[in-house]
Amino acid sequence: MAAGELEGGKPLSGLLNALAQDTFHGYPGITEELLRSQLYPEVAPEEFRPFLAKMRGILKSIASADMDFNQLEAFLTAQTKKQGGITSDQAAVISKFWKSHKTKIRESLMNQSRWNSGLRGLSWRVDGKSQSRHSAQIHTPVAIIELELGKYGQESEFLCLEFDEVKVNQILKTLSEVEESISTLISQPN
Amino acid sequence: MKAPLPHPALAQRMQIKDCWALIRRLLFEARNTLVDFQWKLGMAVSSDTCRSLKYPYVAVMLKVADHSGQVKTKCFEMTIPQFQNFYRQFKEIAAVIETV
Repeated sequence: MAAGELEGGKPLSGLLNALAQDTFHGYPGITEELLRSQLYPEVAPEEFRPFLAKMRGILKSIASADMDFNQLEAFLTAQTKKQGGITSDQAAVISKFWKSHKTKIRESLMNQSRWNSGLRGLSWRVDGKSQSRHSAQIHTPVAIIELELGKYGQESEFLCLEFDEVKVNQILKTLSEVEESISTLISQPN
Repeated sequence: MKAPLPHPALAQRMQIKDCWALIRRLLFEARNTLVDFQWKLGMAVSSDTCRSLKYPYVAVMLKVADHSGQVKTKCFEMTIPQFQNFYRQFKEIAAVIETV
């Protein structure tokens, strides 16, 4: 089997994409045999298996360390120099892949590490004043807010809340305190 | 009784079927009142799947009372951009409710 079969280029790019879908984004059904038959049909399974493991390991290392581009270059250069490592063509493909997919992979890793529910959506409406013929009471405006919450990999739960104007302003005051804390955190040196 | 329409800007952004699904949920689902809003600002540093997480997040704990007065707790987290959107939406609500 020619060494060139496992070189970089389009199949490797596709492989990295599929590995990211499987490892980080939770896409089901991506098997070793599927990848081999679709991307490297000329490569024997016993040769493809260690190659796949090596690429998966490299991608996981890069993602786990959240490598910036300097770290990435140093890491990939080291991989090209070691026994059983990668070729410089493969290094170039991996580098290009990480540069364009880093943000999305990082977002998936953040979602996976969150064990509480996340806020998936927020919808709202404001109901106006109303008056009843039989009652002198005028209803005050009310905001109805629906929060869509959900844990990673689970279906959403909807929480419907009612706020009058006083409550909305109380929440706003609390949220401004949160924002102040965030500004303090961001302005602190690491 | 005619079903009230959702907020005009929201309706424009949604497909009609999503619009009606929202109306059904808002009209028929039990509404809760907020009893307490607690928050903390955390920093996720590292995990078993990612050694270098390094992201701040806002964790919120809501105490809500249903129509019978029963109180339950709901917790959730937001990334900083999600929090900023959450805050912006509340400012919009405040601006609208003031004019009604």
